[in-house]
Amino acid sequence: MAAKRRRSFELTIPSRIEQMEAVHALIEEAVKEYKLSNDMAHWIELSISESMINAIQHGNKADPSKQATLRISSSGDAIEIIVEDEGCGFTFDNVADPTDKANLLKPSGRGILIIRSFMDEVDLSQREGGGCRLRMVKRLPGVDGAR
Amino acid sequence: MELAEMSMLLNPRRLDDVVILDLSGRITIGEGTLVLRDRIRKLLAAGDQKFLLNLADVDYIDSSGLGELVSSFTTVRSQGGQLKLLNLTRRVQDLLQITKLLTVFEVFNNEAEALKTMT
Repeated sequence: MAAKRRRSFELTIPSRIEQMEAVHALIEEAVKEYKLSNDMAHWIELSISESMINAIQHGNKADPSKQATLRISSSGDAIEIIVEDEGCGFTFDNVADPTDKANLLKPSGRGILIIRSFMDEVDLSQREGGGCRLRMVKRLPGVDGAR
Repeated sequence: MELAEMSMLLNPRRLDDVVILDLSGRITIGEGTLVLRDRIRKLLAAGDQKFLLNLADVDYIDSSGLGELVSSFTTVRSQGGQLKLLNLTRRVQDLLQITKLLTVFEVFNNEAEALKTMT
């Protein structure tokens, strides 16, 4: 991404779904700061929300003594999102394809598909000392990204 | 996005033997999915079998919300009933397209047309 960094946002929460309200509040702040279109803001919010829920439920196994961290930053032409947990409950390789006929009626397993459908880059890696790090990048249309 | 907008509201109405559930707000992990699940199960227990979910005012569904729609669909179907969707917003339509759930649900843009199919 280009060097023109804008304000960045960070939040660390205990692994409880109730903490998602704080996540949504931070996303709201970020999309306003970056002047994202309503559509872009919607899909960014959904992708971040899915990744944080994954970190809480699958990475940290909903253990409130473990934390999940969200970082959102922008270079002006792209948004970079990093989600870290202290577990590592999955890899992309062992996530079943939810669009496979055999999985269509399953109640879960669609979060990663949603993230990958919207984001331009999605990388999952191990953190030093344990845990997973999910990095996502969404390139913004137009110079100001405010379409 | 105010906190009041984070939850989902559900308003049931009845046309003959079809229960139309007008949903508004967000169907997300936690309260949003539980509200839908509880209502469908209570209506099933009371003998209702035909459900039309009106999503005209639902602009945000997460993967848990999608999962709840699927669970409701399979629960109703397993009891011999029908559950169909009405008035998807563009974003929800896109989400059902991405996840191929448009191949699972019958979707309508017109309430009268939907009701005609619920025999």
